[in-house]
Amino acid sequence: MKKMIEVRHIRKSFDGLEVLKDVSFEVEQGDVVAILGPSGSGKSTMLRSLIELEHIEDGDIIIEGEALCSGGVYAPKKKKKAILGKMGMVFQLFNLFPHMSIKDNLMCACLCANQGTKQELSQLAEELLAKVDLSDKADAMPSQLSGGQKQRVAIARALMRKPDIMLFDEPTSALDPELTKEVLNVIKQLSEEKMTMLIVTHEIGFAVEAANKIIFLDKGYVAASGTPDEVVNNSGNDRINSFLDKVM
Amino acid sequence: MANLKEWIPLMLQGCGLTVKLFFIVILLSLPLGLIMTFLYTGKNALIRKILGFYILIMRGTPLLLQIFFIYFGLPFVPKIGAYLTINDRFTAGCVAYVLNYAAYFAEIFRGGLLSVDKGQYEAAKVLGMSEVQTTFKIILPQMIRISLPAVSNEAIILVKDTALITTIGLADLLKVTNNIVNRTTNIAAFIVAGCFYLVMSYFLTLAFKYLEKRYAF
Repeated sequence: MKKMIEVRHIRKSFDGLEVLKDVSFEVEQGDVVAILGPSGSGKSTMLRSLIELEHIEDGDIIIEGEALCSGGVYAPKKKKKAILGKMGMVFQLFNLFPHMSIKDNLMCACLCANQGTKQELSQLAEELLAKVDLSDKADAMPSQLSGGQKQRVAIARALMRKPDIMLFDEPTSALDPELTKEVLNVIKQLSEEKMTMLIVTHEIGFAVEAANKIIFLDKGYVAASGTPDEVVNNSGNDRINSFLDKVM
Repeated sequence: MANLKEWIPLMLQGCGLTVKLFFIVILLSLPLGLIMTFLYTGKNALIRKILGFYILIMRGTPLLLQIFFIYFGLPFVPKIGAYLTINDRFTAGCVAYVLNYAAYFAEIFRGGLLSVDKGQYEAAKVLGMSEVQTTFKIILPQMIRISLPAVSNEAIILVKDTALITTIGLADLLKVTNNIVNRTTNIAAFIVAGCFYLVMSYFLTLAFKYLEKRYAF
């Protein structure tokens, strides 16, 4: 199986506070990886580092065999842009562009990057909106949508660039249970299409059901990783058991 | 009533100069303020310091003093005074207003810029947009929308501040009105002039309310 992401010994600090101390893991093509851990364990920082929203200080990040960062040194600008283009990201608070219609939100970046004609991109946007069941909202503004709808638009927007890897940073944390289900259904649909995904989440039930691999981060280290069954049911790790007791 | 018929054409003439000054200052100071905002929040520390000092001077000293300095004071600057002299009163007034208002607008836009959520930059970045594309397509429209109420406020202040141009001898609405009062000793002309300013401010308020509604998100 093709290795999509290789993370080796990455470290990251904020004002002297070491958030990622030594994190390593690998993700293969089609993997759905749930990243679990208590607040402050470094889950989001680790995910954001993969797409260069945070700069790591040391370690390697290799995406589809190409080094985004090697020993804390990032690839040259052009190469970096090509590597980052292989990934899409969905944020906890959606981060839709509030001054644009839903369809423009989807098309804007692709138009800027000349990734197709306006007509082609419009058609792709309509297909993706249909995929997330929001065809009727193409001309709406983000402020007219519910949280769940906004998050589905954010997913469709990330998919516009046809990424090989999708990163989700707590995609359902800002949503109530009913809206959470809408979003999780879309993620499940993507997993059925064999999209490689990394999902930082607190939805243990979803992680067990949809992910084929779980990484448990604690205090900046990978405390456990493996199949959901290995990590959630049979870890034998007190820290994990205590966390699971609290969230389940 | 007979007085009004005599006053209004004169006041409309004065109003013409007031409106002309207002539009020239708005049209020049808004883009200048915008440029200053981007330079002031940019990466060059020297430019940031220079602009910080400039904004401090412009906001920290009276506009009237700045008008006097530009019209009366610049010719007396040692060695370069001759090159800085602006003989035309209206041009000198415009320069003073534009420099002053650009500083205020720069601060208003800076506030708008700081109010744009950090997530907007991050979303643009992960979507592969360049810094320039992010600025013009994502940040600028939101920044301007956020700044509109404060810009509206400042524009209304400008309508009234235009009266300061009287001090360098230009026949704006206030000067014309003052001449009428001096000639007729009838202070009702001041009330009529007040109505003129009020009407201008009212229409400006309506225009900005329309813009706020039009670009609401």
